[in-house]
Parts: sequence; structure tokens; C-alpha cells
Amino acid sequence: MEGMSRAGSGPSAPMPLSSAHATPGQPMLRWASRAKSIDGIAAELGRIWSSISLTAEGPDGDERRVAARSSVMNLVVIAGRGEIGERVAAIVEGLTGRHPSRTLIVTPADPDGPAWLDAQVQAHCVLPSDDAPETCSEMVYLTCGGESGQHLAGVVTPLLIHDLPVTVWWPGEPHFESRSARELLPVADRILVDGSGWSGDGLAGLVAMAALPDLYSLEVADFALLRQARWREAIASTFDRPALLPYLTHIDRIDVHYAATDGAPQMANVVRPMYHVAWLASRLAMSVVSPIRAGTEAWSGYDGLLRFGRRRVPVSLRPVESTSPRGTTLIVQLHATRAHSQLWVEVTAYADGVVVQASLDGEPMPERRFLAPRKREGDLLAETIETAGRDPISSEVLAMAARLVD
Amino acid sequence: MVTKAPVAIPTPRTIREERLARDGKRRRPTHHAEVNPLREGLRLERVPDPHVFVLFGATGDLSHRKVFPALAQLWRTNLLPADWALVAIGRRPYDDGTFRMDIAESLHRNCRVQLDEEAEHQFLERVFYHRGDFGDDATYDTLSRKLEEMHLEQETGSNLLFYLATQPSAFPMIVAEIGRCGLDHEVHNGGWRRIVIEKPFGRDLDSAKRLNREMLKVFRESQVYRIDHYLGKETVRNLLVFRFGNGIFEPLWNRRYVDHIQITVAESLGVEDRGAFYEETGAARDVLQNHLMQLLSLVAMEPPATFAADALRDEKLKVLRAIAPPTRQEVQRDVVRGQYDKGWVAGVPVKAYRAEPEVDPESETETFVAARFEVDDWRWSGVPFYLRTGKRLAKRASEIAIQFRDVPHRLFADSTTDPQPNLLAIRVQPDEGILLRFGSKVPGLGLDIRPVTMDFTYGTAFSTDAPDAYETLILDSMLGDQSLFTRADEVEAAWTIVTPIHDAWLDMPQPEFPNYAAGTWGPEEADELIQRDGRRWRRL
Repeated sequence: MEGMSRAGSGPSAPMPLSSAHATPGQPMLRWASRAKSIDGIAAELGRIWSSISLTAEGPDGDERRVAARSSVMNLVVIAGRGEIGERVAAIVEGLTGRHPSRTLIVTPADPDGPAWLDAQVQAHCVLPSDDAPETCSEMVYLTCGGESGQHLAGVVTPLLIHDLPVTVWWPGEPHFESRSARELLPVADRILVDGSGWSGDGLAGLVAMAALPDLYSLEVADFALLRQARWREAIASTFDRPALLPYLTHIDRIDVHYAATDGAPQMANVVRPMYHVAWLASRLAMSVVSPIRAGTEAWSGYDGLLRFGRRRVPVSLRPVESTSPRGTTLIVQLHATRAHSQLWVEVTAYADGVVVQASLDGEPMPERRFLAPRKREGDLLAETIETAGRDPISSEVLAMAARLVD
Repeated sequence: MVTKAPVAIPTPRTIREERLARDGKRRRPTHHAEVNPLREGLRLERVPDPHVFVLFGATGDLSHRKVFPALAQLWRTNLLPADWALVAIGRRPYDDGTFRMDIAESLHRNCRVQLDEEAEHQFLERVFYHRGDFGDDATYDTLSRKLEEMHLEQETGSNLLFYLATQPSAFPMIVAEIGRCGLDHEVHNGGWRRIVIEKPFGRDLDSAKRLNREMLKVFRESQVYRIDHYLGKETVRNLLVFRFGNGIFEPLWNRRYVDHIQITVAESLGVEDRGAFYEETGAARDVLQNHLMQLLSLVAMEPPATFAADALRDEKLKVLRAIAPPTRQEVQRDVVRGQYDKGWVAGVPVKAYRAEPEVDPESETETFVAARFEVDDWRWSGVPFYLRTGKRLAKRASEIAIQFRDVPHRLFADSTTDPQPNLLAIRVQPDEGILLRFGSKVPGLGLDIRPVTMDFTYGTAFSTDAPDAYETLILDSMLGDQSLFTRADEVEAAWTIVTPIHDAWLDMPQPEFPNYAAGTWGPEEADELIQRDGRRWRRL
């Protein structure tokens, strides 16, 4: 599509808002132009809206714009490399009507060269239905060369829409202690990451990330945790049964099995299995006796010890040879003993969901399945945009995960 | 390292437990926690328990247009339990295969988001057809056996949701048969039974009472879900949030600041292929008694103590009870009825109501009704509520407009534009949103004032599609949440207001129908009704 090319290859002359008739649900590129400075970008963004000539009669005869900018949020994407920026842009464009108001995709480049900026400014609009006004979102592809790439806050802050929340999406491996992070995160309300993609076992990153809410007063959303929502629903549903609810306060063992291709310690990212334990421990007010540590033997996984009331609760993360992506949760097992009666709960993944099997004193209970197709990044981003508020449960899970790693 | 956890669960119950907890000597409570702490903060919509959805009238229009598409959307978004099945009951000679093909076609036509092939296949393979006549005992005996087998095969946990998408005249018969077979009996330790019925809930006060009585002979009120799909609309649900989740509007929401309220439910469509149904119903029964009365009660209600179903419905009921049933003279003065003539709608010529299929050429059924009511309570005394609804009006638009009082003193008398009082308009459909109108100075050297608007639309502020009202309501019924369903006493209270209108019309001379052209905003008398009070209908 014309004007969809990234920085460096886009059209040099401004393309004014197209007045072509939109088809409901189909996004249209309504504006594309280029700028070389912050002031230039701001001017181009202003021109988008001052150029709109499509107007319609509103209620009571007042004039109303047909196209309106969505008022959802600012999304700032720190794309370490150009290809990440392109992937992210494709995801944001694919949100069709579920988009942020203004997306700034920032790619630092040529760190040793002179400072320069190159930006493509675009407006994408979508007609939700025939009788609704068009909703538009702005996209700025920003390449920051030389030293400007080291001062991202100075580039990003003047371009934010005021009074709208700011979400920083940091795909790949974020550097929370970097200068860019230190400058940029104070202006953010939320940071989005995907802990399941971090190198090694990912646990060091978890600890660093858990410190962010206190350091910068922001919310942390991890796609790795969001992806497990249906697992949590499945586990919680087990204890919705009145007969099983009392066992919840008598859990005395938690085991999580995850996919691995070899059993060498710290080779698979265990952020996702760790989140299962952290969620259960935080919801049940368990405390950490021994943090989870990697064993030295092959296939030994990780072991730790929690305290639940007077009981000690061993927890383990066990690698299992599997063709699933490394670090994927395969099984969550819970055991509870109450008045000499024993409950086993096993939640297992299958192709498109999870299945809960429970047995009380060896007597199997009806199996229950929950559909949980794997979510793509676009789905997770849309979900995060939609649920923009505080999520104290996630914060507690993250804090507990950090304590489990310490 | 031992780390103290941030949340105390189970919650201390006695003062001793609380004190020990504060001192860091948390003791195990003497009772088990009654709530599931793992549920807290789960952002996903809860998935209902496994169950069988028993759909009566499965081959009918409502099932095809609304119920199946809503269920398919719930399936697509993983909001139905995996252990779920649907038994479709109808008289037509289908088997599972042919019925599934029929439903597949209907889904392609009516779903707001199409299912992918696999999801559609999974959904349809959970649909089973059961042929039978609603009045035949054998239908229910075989159904009963079939359900028992299904509970075993599909592991649906003995839970049953009956959905009656049939003619209302069939409700008592079906309910009685369900009772005769014992299918209403809830099983200890699981196994719930619920029934969902569609409006109209009776055609007057007496028939509504009879229907409620028949229903409650078999089911308890807590098992009955009366659907008024308007209550499932996102904008209508937002009305409660708008009123009670914001601090600045509620202090203005009373007779001191509000001049009057207008509620409009306008349709541009005619009766389509429902002529026979509409002949027996009319606008007052079809919309005024339910949608408009529900919207009125949501606008006028006091804040409920909690968001629990009965707390909410208690407050709505109080509003309906605060509207005095109109006397014959009041009906003559405050209620206008109309019937559409031929005309032009959206640039297309359309027939008169009397020329529609299955409609009596001398029909006296009203396709339009406008009425003025007063809610006689502390908050609203003296504030008129103008309600109107009709078919073949100029456009499809539903809106609640709160017109505030004018300023007490006109400081800017030199303005060349007449000042307009503030207005808050809640657009229910289409272009869902909220608009606030206020006066602003026109830029320039003079001091002209012009009304401007702050306009919030869902489409720009939220990036997600709102679910269809049926999706919301069907999911709520599966989850056992009655908040958005109408209770028996609410239905009867609404009929207490509407039945006298019908009774008065029966005693009046034959109306001069048709009295408005299709594509207009109704008869002139409707304009006169509001102009008499020095006001006018909003131009939508």
C-alpha cells in the first residue's frame, strides 16, 4: 500500500487526507508525510487534523467532524532494530479499530554518528460501521540517529498527546537499567514486555522488572503472564466447587512441568512456569522460605519451599522433553491434604486449551476442559489496550515472582 | 529468606483473629474461607459451568437471528464451557445433520464476526435436534431421556438452561411440561436449572400475573430470567456506571436542575414480515411497556446499595411504582398514538402499515406512541418524562436526553443567538456515546454565544467491539447473574402503567389512522403533546 513503507523509503511529499469512501471495518491510510525534526513532526501531526474537510451535520444542526482521533492512549514502542519496528507496526496496524491514539515506533540507529531524526507520519482511519464516524489513529515511525537515540525521552515526550495514558512497549530484551529506560519510564504509565522471550532462564529480568513499579510508579504488563489467563481460570474453577473449596487452604505441594529440549539447567526460559507458582503463592498469601533455585543435575529443574500457615509447601519447576516451545507450561499439579483426605488436581495443556482433572482420595472427579487457543501478540496488545486500568493481582504476582527468585 | 506475603487470606473473622493477624501472629481461621481467593482479579469473563442449553422454538426467526449467532460468538471467544451442548427443539422434520446445515447458513448471514471453519465445526457438533410438538407429552418424555444420556456423554454436570424462543402463548404449556417431567428439579451438590423467556411477558396486567403464576408454579423466581434485550445493550449498562461511577453528574440528577427528560426509541423499519404478530401487539405493548419503561427506571432510579441483582431491581421497581397509572382523561391528554401511512424512508418509497402483509386493511393497531409521565417521588416530582417510540420514523435512533434548566439570569442578553439550556444526551444506538451541550463564546470582538458539544463516542474511546446484547444476556443467564433481567414484580408494575392506556383506547372513538407519513417523526399530535409544555422533541 502506498505510504506504508518505513522510515527512509516513504513518500517525501505530504499525502493529504484521502476523501475516498471507507468500507466499514477496513482501515485506510488517510495521511502520510515526512519530517526531520520534532517541530516538524508536531506540525505534520497538526496538519492531519486541520486538513480534514469531511464534515457532517450533527444533532441539533451543529457541525461535527466525520473523522475523529481515538482517545485511548499513547503507545511508545522501543524497537531495538528496524525489523522489530516493522513487525510491531504490522501488529498495531492489524488491530483495526482497536488501536492506540498515537503510536510512536522509535528505532535508535547509527549510535556513533551525528544526531539526526527521520520520521514518517501517518494517519490510519477505520469506519466502524456505516452510521458511525471514522476513527483515526496516528502512527509515527521515528528513527533516531547518533546521540538522539540515547535520549529517547527528549524525542518522545514532546510528541505525546497530553491527558492520555502512556504505554511503553519494549519488545525483545529490555534494558531496565539503561539510560533510555531511566529517562523514558518516568513519563510512562505502563510498560509492556514479554518475559517469555528473554535470554537464559529469564529470572534475572523478572527481578529487575519487579522493581519498576516502585521506581517509576508504573504498571507492568507481561504478555507471558497474560497468556496464562485461561490456566488461572481453569485452576480457580476447580475450587469453585463447594466440596473442594476447603482444600484450597490445605495445599501442601505445587509442581509445574515445562517444555525443554535438553535438561541443562538455566537453558529454558522459565518465566511462565514461575508465574504459575507466583500466582498461587500470592493469592493464597504464602510466604517464601527458600527461593526457587536451579539444580545442578541435568533435568533437575528448580526447587523451592513456601510456607502456608504452619505448613511447608515444596514447589518445583520440572523440565520435560517436549516439542512445544521451550519454557511452555505443560502441567500444573496441586496436592492438598485435609483431615486425612487427599486432593490431587492436575491441569494439563492440550492443543487448544487446558483440561482439569481432579481426584479426591483416588476417586476421579468429572474432567473439565477450557478452550485456550494460543494468543498472538496482536491479541495480547489489544487486550492490554482494552484493560487499561490498574491490575493489582499482576503486581502481586510479579512481586511474588521476584521474591521466589531472590 | 522468609518473606511476608502481602495479602491476608483467609480473612480473619473474629476480633481475636484480626488482632493476631495485626500482630503478625496469623492464626488459621476457625471457618473455611467462603470465597475462592483464586477468583480474585481474574480478568477473563468467567466461563459458565458445563450445561445443556435446551432451546425451544429453535427453528424460529428469533433463534436464527439472535440466539444462535450470540451463542456462536460466545463459543468463538471461548466463553462457553468446553463441556457444553445444545438441544434444539422444534416441530420441523430435521435431523442433527440437516439442522446443523440450516444453522450454519444462518450463522453466515447473522454473525457479527464470522467463525473460522474449525470453530464453526466445533460449535455445530454440539448442537442436537429434537423434533417434537410443544403440547405433546411424548416430546418431553423423550427429551428427558435424551438429556440424561447427554449429561453422561457430554459431562454437562446435570445443569440445564431452558430458553423459550417461542410464541408467548406456548410459555405456560412448555413450563408445565417441564414441571411434569421433573426437569426443573435442581440436584443437590450441583445441577442447576434455569429458564429464560422472551418478551412480551403477557399482554396486559392480568395476563402478566397469570403468566408469572404459571411460571412460579414450577420454577422459583431465582431460576427465571426474563429477557429485555435493551438491558443488555452496552450503552444502557453504561448508564449505571455513568450515573453512579462518576461524582459530578449525580448531584445534578434531580428536579432542582433537570427541566425534563426525553427518551426515544425510533425505528426506520416497518413491521417487515411480522405483521400478524404486530397486529396483536402494537407499539405500546412492544416497546413502551418494556424497553421504554426499563430505560425510564434506569434513568430515574436511586443508587442501589449494592450492584447485586435484587438491589438493582428493587430500585427500578420503586420508580415504576412512583408513576401513577393514568386515568382516562390523562390518557386522552398525555398519550398520543399513531399509525404510519405510506411515505419515503431513506430515499425509498414504503407502504402504509395497513398495506403490509398480514395486516388488517382497517387496522387500529398503533405503530407509534408518545406519552408524558411523571415520577412522583422526592427526586423527580414535577419533572416530566416524555417517551416516544415508533416504526417507520425518519431514522433509527434511540436516545435518552436530559434537558437541564435554563440559567436563572441571562447575563449575556446581547448575544444574537438564543441561549440553549445544557443538555446531556445518551445515545443508545447507533453511534453509541454521550454528548454534553453547553454555551460557548463565539471567537471575535462581540459577545455572541453559541451552543457547542463535548461528544464522547464509544468507537473513539474504546478500541473493542461491544458484544451484542444477546451475548451479554445469554452469558449472564448461564452464569446465574440476574441483574440485567426483569423481575416478575417489575413486569407487573410496568403493566400497571400501560394497561390503563389500552383500556382507555378501547373506550375512545376509532382513531383517525393513518396519521403520520412514513419517514417523519410521527403524528403532529405528538409535537403538540410536548409543545403544550413549552418544549420540543429533540431532532435526532
